[in-house]
Amino acid sequence: MRHRSKLLARAILLSVILQFLPVTALAGDQEFKLLVDRVSAYYQKRPLPFMGLLSFIGNCFTPHGVSHLQMAIFEDVSSDQRPPEEEFQSSLEGLVGPGYLPFVRVYNSHSGERTFIYAREYGKKNYDMLIVSMERTEAVIMQMRLDPAALRDWVDEPVSRGRDSAHGGGAGVPR
Amino acid sequence: MNVTQGKIHINAALILAGAMLLGAFNPPAFAQNPKLDIKNLEPLAKKASEVVDVNLDGTLLKLASKFMTDEDDKEGLEIIKNLKGIYVKNFEFDKPGEYSQADVEAIHEQLQRPLWSRIVSAQSKKEGETTEVYLMTPSDGGTILGMAIIDAEPRELTIVNIVGPIDIEKLSSLEGKMGIPRLGKLEPAKKPEGQHETQK
Repeated sequence: MRHRSKLLARAILLSVILQFLPVTALAGDQEFKLLVDRVSAYYQKRPLPFMGLLSFIGNCFTPHGVSHLQMAIFEDVSSDQRPPEEEFQSSLEGLVGPGYLPFVRVYNSHSGERTFIYAREYGKKNYDMLIVSMERTEAVIMQMRLDPAALRDWVDEPVSRGRDSAHGGGAGVPR
Repeated sequence: MNVTQGKIHINAALILAGAMLLGAFNPPAFAQNPKLDIKNLEPLAKKASEVVDVNLDGTLLKLASKFMTDEDDKEGLEIIKNLKGIYVKNFEFDKPGEYSQADVEAIHEQLQRPLWSRIVSAQSKKEGETTEVYLMTPSDGGTILGMAIIDAEPRELTIVNIVGPIDIEKLSSLEGKMGIPRLGKLEPAKKPEGQHETQK
């Protein structure tokens, strides 16, 4: 009886917390999951486990103005299963969710890495950024929220920022 | 066929020829599109070690304008609020000399007179950098429709295409931002040219 009331109390608390979460945030999570599922289907492989924990840790180290980091890493994927660029890009644009606009694309001929960066407005003050980076044997999907100053840095220097995110981490997030 | 019919046929042929000539000298409306086709640079992309494509179209520009609230941003904001898009293609090469002017011809072919005219051409012998600025003006000579910047360095090539009306006087406020290279104090081209002569 005591155990049941504890569970009930937790469920009530959780439902109260969820009430206060913006609906769009939940929708954003859903979009991210959907995108991860689609990339999983392409590669016939699930992302590395404990991504939630990694994202949580990553959030502790994000630069100023970056928050809500979510990521999924696919390791040891076969490049044979990677779709052709044009096909992948068009299907990606159908998947990334409404409002996301293609912003920067980076292609590295040495590593075969292709990075697609999308941005969209979130609420009245913030912006969401989605980075999909695919190498020959690895793929990374990252979604994060940027404040106006952080997005401004991107708009001011899109070429170098795009290049940095392809080499290292998105929006300065270590990878 | 009598003489009158023959005259009518000759007149019709002359009118047709005149119309064709006019058509040849006045580019059709669709040709007045300042957005360059930069997709056909794939051969160049194959030579490059890295290619960066930046796409700041209308909606993203609107987003960008929202945080241009500083006093210093006033001129830049004035420009971008009327723009339709800024598109940047940047190629980075492993070694100098891995691309030639012939590789950039796909862009130069689109920057033809009378719609496009080269207003700036500057060359830095020390750094081996060449910068060209082209403007697109409508056939009736109205407001500038768009701009193209070709910035060629030994290991890097950047093509910037600005679509929409631009006040050249205020362009400096956007230099070094949004992928637009710093143009500094460039000397204007002696004579506006539409077609680029091969140099380098």
